Amino acid sequence: MYNEDQKIAFLFSPELNFEFLKELYGDDLQQAEMVFESTVQQLRSEQQLAESRFHDGDIPGLKKVIHKMKPLLGYIGLNGYMEEFAAFEKICLESGTATYAEKGFHHIRDLTDHAIKTAEKEFLRLKEHNTQYL
Amino acid sequence: MKYQSIIVEDLQVAADFLKRYCEKSGAIDVLAHFLNAEDAMEFLKDNVIDLIFLDVEMPGASGFELLDQLVYTPQVILTTSKTEYAYDAFQHNVTDYLKKPFTYQRFLDALQKVSKKTEQINGGSEQDHMFIKADGKLIRLHNDDILFIESMGDYVKFITPVKKYITHNTIKNLETKVNPLVFMKVHRSYIVNFTKINDIQENVLFINGNMIPISKTHKSGVMQKINIL
Repeated sequence: MYNEDQKIAFLFSPELNFEFLKELYGDDLQQAEMVFESTVQQLRSEQQLAESRFHDGDIPGLKKVIHKMKPLLGYIGLNGYMEEFAAFEKICLESGTATYAEKGFHHIRDLTDHAIKTAEKEFLRLKEHNTQYL
Repeated sequence: MKYQSIIVEDLQVAADFLKRYCEKSGAIDVLAHFLNAEDAMEFLKDNVIDLIFLDVEMPGASGFELLDQLVYTPQVILTTSKTEYAYDAFQHNVTDYLKKPFTYQRFLDALQKVSKKTEQINGGSEQDHMFIKADGKLIRLHNDDILFIESMGDYVKFITPVKKYITHNTIKNLETKVNPLVFMKVHRSYIVNFTKINDIQENVLFINGNMIPISKTHKSGVMQKINIL
């Protein structure tokens, strides 16, 4: 991606789906920065909610939180994670018990932690780039 | 024509994204954003819009439940992160189905479908009627029945030979919606059916005994439109 005025390239990190992100944000790196920042915040708050739903054994409630978290991952280029969240959402729908959902939930928790760290790192890269070149 | 729309979406990031796309397109005014279907329903009781960007799974009622309660049918673009709703979408005659997150190009494709559907509904520029929301129902008014439309702040008054209808809308919004072959804005507070004009004197025109001002801005447009022999 380029800043049109100064032609300074910004390359999204390779661990993200950079082709998709390029298509999603075009040259609007300010929007990308804003979205990455708000996504980190929202993932954090949804993660807390998911923990609470899981510990209360509220699997339908957990499913709703997972459903809400899923597209957030797409906005930060973690499209593969979206599929894993979709699969877990299905497990929640079919199982209805915390025991059955437990193993999947631990995996989802790890993915979320990683997603937050990755998005946070990318947000800082975008912020630095935008401060310097925009 | 600019579409008057609302966004019903519980994910703030997705709504912000959509607002930005709408702004970028220049074709859509976003009148409001609602985080749930219930608040959107309250808004839709008093407002007529062209288009809804609608999430399906939200806290409380679902997007489809909202559609089931509507008394009129704006166009609908579903915005969801699931693809399993295709059948329901088809049943509710939605215009398009966007899977979040979607690109600007995909958004533009959806707008094209909205535009095509609008043309089908209106029959191009030959629309001969409009529906207005008044007296708690949707009323069909033929162009020929309307003498003029008068602004009343956030409301407008449709004047017909037999009755006056008050509805929540603005002259600015209606200006882009009415059939330009029949209606014309003559003042910031008036749109007239120019086939009904009885006479024009200086900066006023008369329709069925009603005196309507013509603003300086619109005077030349009015004179061009009427057939002076």
